[in-house]
Amino acid sequence: MASDEELSLLVIVVDVNPIWWGQQTLKESQFTLSKCIDAVMVMGNSHLFMSRSNKLAIIASHIQESRFLYPGKNWKSGDFSGETANSLTESNLCGSKDGKYELLTAGNELITEEIRDLMAKNEMRGQQTETLLAGSLAKALCYIYRVNKDLEAGQEMKSRILVIKSADDSALQYMNFMNVIFAAQKQNILIDACILDSDSGLLQQACDITGGLYLKVPQMPSLLQYLLWVFLPDPDQRSQLILPPPVHVDYRAACFCHRNLIEIGYVCSVCLSIFCSFSPICTTCETAFKISLPPVMKAKKKKLKPAT
Amino acid sequence: MLATMATSSEEVLLIVKKVRQKKQDGALYLMAERIAWAPEGKDRFTVSHMYADIKCQKISPEGKAKIQLQLVLHTGETTNFHFANDNSAIKERDAVKDLLQQLLPKFKRKANKELEEKNRMLQEDPVLFQLYKDLVVSQVISAEEFWANRLSLNAVDNSSSNNKQDVGISAAFLADVRPQTDGCNGLRYNLTSDIIESIFRTYPAVKQKYAENVPHNMTEKEFWTRFFQSHYFHRDRINTGSKDLFGECAKMDEKGLKTMVGQGVKNPLVDLTSLEDKALEEGYGIFSVPSTSNSFKSIKENSNAAIIKRFNHHSAMVLAAGLRKQEAQNDHCSETSSTDGNSRDSDCFQPPLKKVKLQEAIEYEDLEESNGLKTVALSLKKSDSYWLLQKPQCSFKLYQTNNSFKNVQTSLTCSAFRLKVLSSSAASSAITALSPGGALMRGGIQQAINQMVPNDIQCELKHLYVAAGELLRHFWTCFPVNTPFLEEKLMKMKSNLERFQATKLRPFQEKMQRQYLDKNLTSHLEEMLQTAYNKFHTWQSKRMMKKT
Repeated sequence: MASDEELSLLVIVVDVNPIWWGQQTLKESQFTLSKCIDAVMVMGNSHLFMSRSNKLAIIASHIQESRFLYPGKNWKSGDFSGETANSLTESNLCGSKDGKYELLTAGNELITEEIRDLMAKNEMRGQQTETLLAGSLAKALCYIYRVNKDLEAGQEMKSRILVIKSADDSALQYMNFMNVIFAAQKQNILIDACILDSDSGLLQQACDITGGLYLKVPQMPSLLQYLLWVFLPDPDQRSQLILPPPVHVDYRAACFCHRNLIEIGYVCSVCLSIFCSFSPICTTCETAFKISLPPVMKAKKKKLKPAT
Repeated sequence: MLATMATSSEEVLLIVKKVRQKKQDGALYLMAERIAWAPEGKDRFTVSHMYADIKCQKISPEGKAKIQLQLVLHTGETTNFHFANDNSAIKERDAVKDLLQQLLPKFKRKANKELEEKNRMLQEDPVLFQLYKDLVVSQVISAEEFWANRLSLNAVDNSSSNNKQDVGISAAFLADVRPQTDGCNGLRYNLTSDIIESIFRTYPAVKQKYAENVPHNMTEKEFWTRFFQSHYFHRDRINTGSKDLFGECAKMDEKGLKTMVGQGVKNPLVDLTSLEDKALEEGYGIFSVPSTSNSFKSIKENSNAAIIKRFNHHSAMVLAAGLRKQEAQNDHCSETSSTDGNSRDSDCFQPPLKKVKLQEAIEYEDLEESNGLKTVALSLKKSDSYWLLQKPQCSFKLYQTNNSFKNVQTSLTCSAFRLKVLSSSAASSAITALSPGGALMRGGIQQAINQMVPNDIQCELKHLYVAAGELLRHFWTCFPVNTPFLEEKLMKMKSNLERFQATKLRPFQEKMQRQYLDKNLTSHLEEMLQTAYNKFHTWQSKRMMKKT
């Protein structure tokens, strides 16, 4: 029965950091933002194809905003006529040209429209160069929550977030990121990560804590294959498949004085700040500490044997 | 069970002929320290039990055709003796039973308790049992060492388990004594020791009477017959003549009841004496004209009142008996008064009690303000260290940014109608990387080790670990070596470890090699043992140096 099917919501968060992607173009790599968005669209279509009751959302994570690429503001699933005409350019809504399922065509058109709009409008303001990933994840969580509320009685929904990351981690967003991760864990939402460029410690932690998969893609042009192979199956089905093993996550804390990752250190008992070496006054809470040194051993005088 | 002759020095206390055991005729001999049975015509005992070995005896119930006596040993074995003498079987059996009852307590071994304790522990914990088998039975360490640490731990547990809750008194114990018709116009009451105990605990007056009269004036049986015959027991207690043994008891009960009512309930807000059937009108309860003179009360009302009074008294005594026991255990000078009719009233505590009750009635704990403990606030001078994971890195230089922006905008050529998103070569290279054995799947194979090793080997390995852990624990607790006792123990433990390695570990490794199991499952165990040996050698060499 259709109403008994469990809903599966996939939220794809794409890192569209224009600076990083611009660098890609400059390097004349084959893999540009367009190719990435194409792969994301195919992935989204595949997810919608897996089951009638599957839902999809795509968020673009820019350096100045996070925007929903799909569904659109006035989008009601399945209903792409009438009201939606106002927000979209009429010329694009021409229906399926190649016999594709109408919903997918409309979705893809919407995505391409939105991303063009996003990249065209924004100009470089200020010094921000880092992707607002924490914000996008927070938006994803809110969206999941909202869809959950709109469910009919008796329907259950499982959701997961797939993050496609390109630029480096932002150190300033650490706290927000951790909050998002724990919120996702509490809501039983998996966070999967597909990394294009450099490893991200934050996402490794996110995947480890929420139970998702972390994958660093070795070749970017094959992105779509990796997405379909590893990230398309549901979490329930993943236990039946042979997938890449989990990564070892570096959970070491960083000392407050040098920001080095340490394994053994000193912790202030008042404010719990971590230091790599002992200092008599804690810099955060200004508590004084004394440390007892090991007792000094008197060197035993050895009797010198008379040389024979 | 030894087949022995009665030694000449043994004093024979009782001989019972015509006792069958295992369908053989014979005679039962009770000696000073043991009980034995010899078949008819033979002079050798085939069955012989020391009194110390006997846990308890059981007799067949009255009325059964076969009159039997059963001996239950500590080991759980049972031996049945059937008394086949037609005339005096019951008497003989009872004589044997009484004699055993007197003799058995003398021989009860106290040491058994410890053995039982150990057995119980071994039975309850299968891991411990396995450890015991591995270490003690195969003589790696002695049983004393094994139990040295454990028994002390459990002695504490036992003392707490001894304070089990006492069984209370069932309020219906008197009703359970259901009389049976004897056939010839009499009644038979079956009294078990439980019922007797309940009666004594509830009615101390009866206990007193019992102590006074039995066995001087009458036998137990007579006492109880009189008890059940007396009006004291029956419903309609009419306090006629004082010839009745229990008339005094009835009077004492009345007195007790009066003091109880006078004492009242601890709660000053409850007034017992104002409880009565108040009828509103006809049809809403018993509407009776309040009669002032007692003589007009009907006989039925009188007897009803008497029954109700007795019922209340009985319930009060049952409750009191339970509380009395508790009081005796807790505090001899407890200030809280019980509802026992014999305890003293504590007038001086009346006002605070009332206050407490009033306060309980008007205050709700949840609605009060919570008085938390005063805490000291945390003052942080510089708190941004918490928010940053790493040093903020500015990964993009400024000149890069402007160019990039323009590039991206122009390069956006994604389309909804693109047909070729993925080339086949890219796809196949990705698939090979993701297949088992591929570049991305390196870490996966190690996880399956518990599926590659058969279950029984895993079990054996677990046992080895538990045993080795136990030995190593004994070994390492010897350090620092301060006393000669620890030195000795250390030497012993080292030899134990070597013995363990030789007798348990090596065969296991050889077995694994024979089964072509390539995994080196015991490397960690060997490492642990080697560390212990190294420590021992360094200690030994240090000791040598000190001596020289």
